[in-house]
Amino acid sequence: MKLINRHNFISVVCISFTLIVCGKLILEKSSGFIDRFYAENIFTCLGVSVLATFILSLHYYLQRFPFIPVVIGQYLALIGFIFLGIWIMGHFTDTAPSAYKDMFVSVTIPYVIGAVVYYISFFLQIKRANEVFEDLE
Amino acid sequence: MKFIKTREENLSENYLELHYDDIDSETAAVLERLRPALKYIEGTADGKRLTFPLSDIFYFETVDRKTFGYTADTCLEVKETLQNIIDDHKDAGFVRISKSCIANMYKIKRLQGDLNMRTLIYLKNDECLVMNRGYRAEFYDALEKLRGRKKNETHK
Repeated sequence: MKLINRHNFISVVCISFTLIVCGKLILEKSSGFIDRFYAENIFTCLGVSVLATFILSLHYYLQRFPFIPVVIGQYLALIGFIFLGIWIMGHFTDTAPSAYKDMFVSVTIPYVIGAVVYYISFFLQIKRANEVFEDLE
Repeated sequence: MKFIKTREENLSENYLELHYDDIDSETAAVLERLRPALKYIEGTADGKRLTFPLSDIFYFETVDRKTFGYTADTCLEVKETLQNIIDDHKDAGFVRISKSCIANMYKIKRLQGDLNMRTLIYLKNDECLVMNRGYRAEFYDALEKLRGRKKNETHK
């Protein structure tokens, strides 16, 4: 079963974009930070949402490969494209000196949390299935 | 309709016997529920033509475009493809676990996950099959249906 398909792609992008922007605004509000590049960063969030959703949607086609290399490969592809985007943007506009570090942290933390939740849910699903098989005995 | 359950010691195989004058709707419904579990499959083993109850088959596997069914002690070559088996015998508890394998849910002892998120399926005959991640959703859907069926049987 495809979790992300062409029917729900836009919805997934919209939801993740909303969550990222809400997270950004909450963090900024709580720390009193004023974003000088507000518009640029909002579009960056949208770009990251589209890119991350697209890369994660490829997971379905990679299911015959072992999970750990796939999840690491997807992460490297995602972070690689983001760094490439920052590098290209750097030719047209000013970027913060810490742009690479900030994006690395912003992408890595949610990605690792998501991967860990996915991994734990896999083993919980097996535990529940084993309980069903015990009941069937 | 009466249901009489009798325990007989040293019986080699459990059996159901139906005594009837006329198959009424209640009896027909019971038979309909039993039908998937009492299906048979034909195949060849060592050049001999054999018929086995589907419920005896632990799993089906395709090797070199041939389909084999495995019971506790026999490997049976069958004519059906894996897709045909799934289409015809899904209700008997068979579920696809990889491109080349179908397992009988009633013959599964336990599952175990490995680090690469492959699911190892241990059968009651202590054989181990590997489920691909791509078939996980299908497997858990089938398991959910099986659990629902089991719950209904318990309530009745």
